[in-house]
Amino acid sequence: MTPAKRHAISVNLDKCTGCVHCLTACPTQAIRIRDGKARVIDRQCIDCGECIRHCPRDAIESHTTSFSDLQRFAYKVAIPATALYGQFGNSVLPYEILYALRKIGFDHVYDLSAICELYIAAVEEFLTEHAQPRPVIASTCPVVVRLIQRRFPTLSGLIVPFEPPREIGAKILRSTLPAALKLKPEDIGIIHITPCPAKLVSINHPATMKKSYLDGAVSIRDIYPPILDILRKKDDTAIMRHLFPDSSMSGLGIGWSISGGETRSLPKFRTVAVSGVQDTIHVLDQVESGLLRDVDYLECMVCPDGCVGGPLSIENRFLAKSRILHLAKKAGDKSVIDRSEIRTMYRENFLSFQHPVEPQPSAPLDADPAEAIRKAGLREKILQRLPGKNCGFCGAPDCATLADDIVRGLADIRNCPMTWKETP
Amino acid sequence: MTGEKVFRTEFSVKGREFSRAGDVSCRIKNLLKDIGIDAGTVRRLAIASFEAEMNVIMYARQAVISLAVSPDKVSIVIDDEGPGIPDIALAMKEGFSTATREMRELGFGAGMGLPNIRKNSDVFHLTSEPGRGTRLEITVRLDGSRP
Repeated sequence: MTPAKRHAISVNLDKCTGCVHCLTACPTQAIRIRDGKARVIDRQCIDCGECIRHCPRDAIESHTTSFSDLQRFAYKVAIPATALYGQFGNSVLPYEILYALRKIGFDHVYDLSAICELYIAAVEEFLTEHAQPRPVIASTCPVVVRLIQRRFPTLSGLIVPFEPPREIGAKILRSTLPAALKLKPEDIGIIHITPCPAKLVSINHPATMKKSYLDGAVSIRDIYPPILDILRKKDDTAIMRHLFPDSSMSGLGIGWSISGGETRSLPKFRTVAVSGVQDTIHVLDQVESGLLRDVDYLECMVCPDGCVGGPLSIENRFLAKSRILHLAKKAGDKSVIDRSEIRTMYRENFLSFQHPVEPQPSAPLDADPAEAIRKAGLREKILQRLPGKNCGFCGAPDCATLADDIVRGLADIRNCPMTWKETP
Repeated sequence: MTGEKVFRTEFSVKGREFSRAGDVSCRIKNLLKDIGIDAGTVRRLAIASFEAEMNVIMYARQAVISLAVSPDKVSIVIDDEGPGIPDIALAMKEGFSTATREMRELGFGAGMGLPNIRKNSDVFHLTSEPGRGTRLEITVRLDGSRP
């Protein structure tokens, strides 16, 4: 894996048959079929992973951190997404999963539920302090941040200016571990365990800081088999309980991997929770039209039902969700954080973005306004000549995108089989 | 072709079609983004055109929404067939609304629609013939200057 790579997904050209499944599934029209193979347009891809979900041949590969990448660190810390807790059987408890990570080779394992609670407590401070503008949008899903930058640039300023829990957790560890362990900072590897490829992109190319506090992200898909092996052995139960007492887990944070996990902790505010990429786009469109101004906090997660529906998770999301709900119910509203500490962290900007989310609007039809206007007219005329079947045969996901590609000089109308019969 | 310096297109909107509310303003917004109009101006026009589209859906039988984009301005004309507005001055007052209980339950009818459109446009021209329909013309200048 090369860190310079802009995205965490790529097409395996040997496996790709050039079918149209990913083409039509891509919510940002970032895929074209060229020479019989799917190609991803870097600038438009937001790393949502819909293509991974829809490919029938497993030809879309995600480039998360591999175990061998971790060997360069003398001390390895795992910060698993709370979605990991829903991946195993009903009787498997979070502390058993955390302990299994220790057995796999992580020197330290850090539960994120408390940091999730910390984040939302800080959001509460922020909402109380800033009455406008509304709605404030959650910063937790990295795909939502990228979607807003590219497709809804006018909404960039609505994103709550706090790093997500995984980064806050890593920052806390970074500021304490080197001294405590007497190790050089670069010898300590802090690794997220992720249900989606987008986390790796947010680590390699952070949207709101110079350098991520995390060193990589291992996918749940890759770490599932070794965890399962250790769980099957079922030994050392007493040690596990001692290492990861249930009392350190936050009842408010443990349900974060399902849609509504964040908003549940904001009873004093009007909140909306959205999940799924198309529904997220629909709601952000409404925000851009001036709706939802009476909503204080908008939680958006592009995976269906939240992070439990991540494309790199193993368990089906309905079972995973049921388990997380069960854990959350058992834990109740148990709080493990000190509110006055949060206020201090908030005042000291410990959680804050280093710089605001920068809009990255997509390229206009032409840099020259008059020429862009001419091309917009031409595009309508071309679209009228196209059949409107959205078949994907031309290599673009639909007729409108082909028309757009044509006026941008990226495709030819003869790519459309239905226009072959027309005389030029 | 002549007149290539202006991009024109038309959309039709049907009254009571709440299921499609926002479709036209969304298409207008995406067109403006493609033409490269700056984000702040797109937002103003998105809000104005959405409010105007909702007025048609809530009150009129049908309307034609015409969009014209030139390098120096964007104009949107909403020409509807409907009950019209008997007292425009009253309709323009913030908080004045003739919305039914049903519309209010849907979250509309706070009496901010027309004032909001005016706030988000540089030129606002509203005419109406009661019993026949309403014509609203709005323009946003692209040179960055506001009157």
